[in-house]
Amino acid sequence: MIEITNLAKTYGTGDNATAALKGVSLTINDGDFVVLLGASGSGKSTLLHTVSGLERPDSGSVKYSGTDITALSDDKLTAFRKEKVGFIFQQYYLLPNLNVDKNVKMGADLAGNRDYRKIIEAVGLSEKLYKFPSELSGGEQQRVSIARALAKKPKVMFLDEPTGALDEDTGRQVLDYICKMQKESGFAMVMVTHNGNIADMADTVVKMNSGKIVDTYSNQSRKTAYEIGW
Amino acid sequence: MIIRPKDAVKMLGVLIMCACAVLVCTLFLNSNIDLQRIKDQITDPETLIIFDLVVSSGNMTSAVTGLALGLTTVVMLLFYVKHYIDTHKPELGILKALGYSNWKIAKGFWVFGLSIFVGTAVGFCLAFAFMPAFYKSQRDDGILPDISMHFNPELVVYLIIFPTIAFALLSVLYSYRKLKRPTLELIRGKGKVKIRKAKNGGKEDLPFLRDLKQSTLRSRFSLIFFVWLSAFCFSATVVMSFSIGELGGSDMMAVMMAAIGVVLAVTTLFLAVTTVIKGNGKTIAMLRVFGYSDHECGRAILNGYRPITYIGFAIGTLYQHGLMIMMMTLFFDDSVMDLPEYTFNVQAAVIALASFVVLYELFMLVYSKRIRRIPLKDVMAEE
Repeated sequence: MIEITNLAKTYGTGDNATAALKGVSLTINDGDFVVLLGASGSGKSTLLHTVSGLERPDSGSVKYSGTDITALSDDKLTAFRKEKVGFIFQQYYLLPNLNVDKNVKMGADLAGNRDYRKIIEAVGLSEKLYKFPSELSGGEQQRVSIARALAKKPKVMFLDEPTGALDEDTGRQVLDYICKMQKESGFAMVMVTHNGNIADMADTVVKMNSGKIVDTYSNQSRKTAYEIGW
Repeated sequence: MIIRPKDAVKMLGVLIMCACAVLVCTLFLNSNIDLQRIKDQITDPETLIIFDLVVSSGNMTSAVTGLALGLTTVVMLLFYVKHYIDTHKPELGILKALGYSNWKIAKGFWVFGLSIFVGTAVGFCLAFAFMPAFYKSQRDDGILPDISMHFNPELVVYLIIFPTIAFALLSVLYSYRKLKRPTLELIRGKGKVKIRKAKNGGKEDLPFLRDLKQSTLRSRFSLIFFVWLSAFCFSATVVMSFSIGELGGSDMMAVMMAAIGVVLAVTTLFLAVTTVIKGNGKTIAMLRVFGYSDHECGRAILNGYRPITYIGFAIGTLYQHGLMIMMMTLFFDDSVMDLPEYTFNVQAAVIALASFVVLYELFMLVYSKRIRRIPLKDVMAEE
């Protein structure tokens, strides 16, 4: 369980200060799929970065099973990310000089996962094992980044607009893969998006505006990637 | 024009390389020109032999130094021009989109020749600062008649003006070639990713960090050259400076040679390691996002260069040994000068190696610390 309490973060100082988070509190249960929904500048990405340990908040706490990660040293925070979390970004960030196999191995080696090729197979890329990122389509690259994140067997997966750079068909396909993997592995998932339709796929939807949570609700039933609008 | 003189001045490596080359060449060539003025005064055949020997060894030193440093400057300049284009793709793309021709943009790259001008001018001035001591050291043995120092303007043309024009032209032509890319590709800041695949196509089952280390090395051959060159310059010049001292050469020459070697080594190592870190900034940030420690990142990105560096050191030591044997055989074998026999100075090589190890490992330590300062959020900030 992740307990987020009174999280605050301000960028800049003096007249240029912008409060990105203004005392955000939230609880994310194990295995939950939470969507952070909001317009650009609402603070959803800052919340994702601080909760995942990529950025430190100015105040407040983020507790994973009782451990406050905001109080950890840089080295311990790195070890925390190694053990607990996985990331999928809008721009994939694959290593351009390594093939699909090696890119996924980047995540797998951290968890000592020797069966990582099953994940590559599961995302439908076993035919492209030795292809390089520049030889793949956008959708295929995002699937590699999903496989890379899954290969490290995270407890929580953080996704920052994972379909933002994809067309509708590919976007649905990618979301479908992610949800299937979540069901199989049972990790919690926190996804940032500005696409309101994707919220229908989540267990919990957190709406943000101007650095605050303005609404939180749970869906009675989760829709699939092919049932939502786009 | 988006290329400003400030950008050219940033090319510290080129500047130092030029300054060192011109410093050595000016000292020897100016001295040789001044020596020619007194040739008529020498009537003794033995003195005439020594005169020819001094002139030809000076010419050879200038040629070897000028050629080696000149070629390295060419590589470094092309590297800087390419790096500038790679890091300013969107701005260059917008200029093209606005209707500027490749040729018109490329012409702006002449300012890179300014760094050559500044470097050569600095080297030239430094040479004249050292010249009195250099002339004095040449007269120490009293064999040749006294020569007075003159300013020889033709050297300004050969060592400052010609190189500046040639390198400015080279920058323009090379940038013109590099700008021949689709406008949209430049605006988006993307281009064809040149992948240097492993011999087995990357099918070997190695641990990820080892794979990354190898691919980092493969991705930039120019950096391998610079790291190699740094160690080569250091060992060749430092060991040679000891040998020169042993053979009765002037202390000033020995110190100058060692100083030039150390400066060149530090400059090229700085250039190479900074580029490695900057060029792999996103990879390092991504590794840290995923949970790889700073130590692991440093090992994967920097450690691959270590064997190349020490190979460079070994080759540099052998090169100076070969060069010394050649110089002794070509110029001093039948000479009337009574020189001690040249032998390989093991002690000098050990001292040079020890000091290079300290320098190199210190560099690696500093840059490993810099890895820690690469902000993780930069990875996510990009569109």
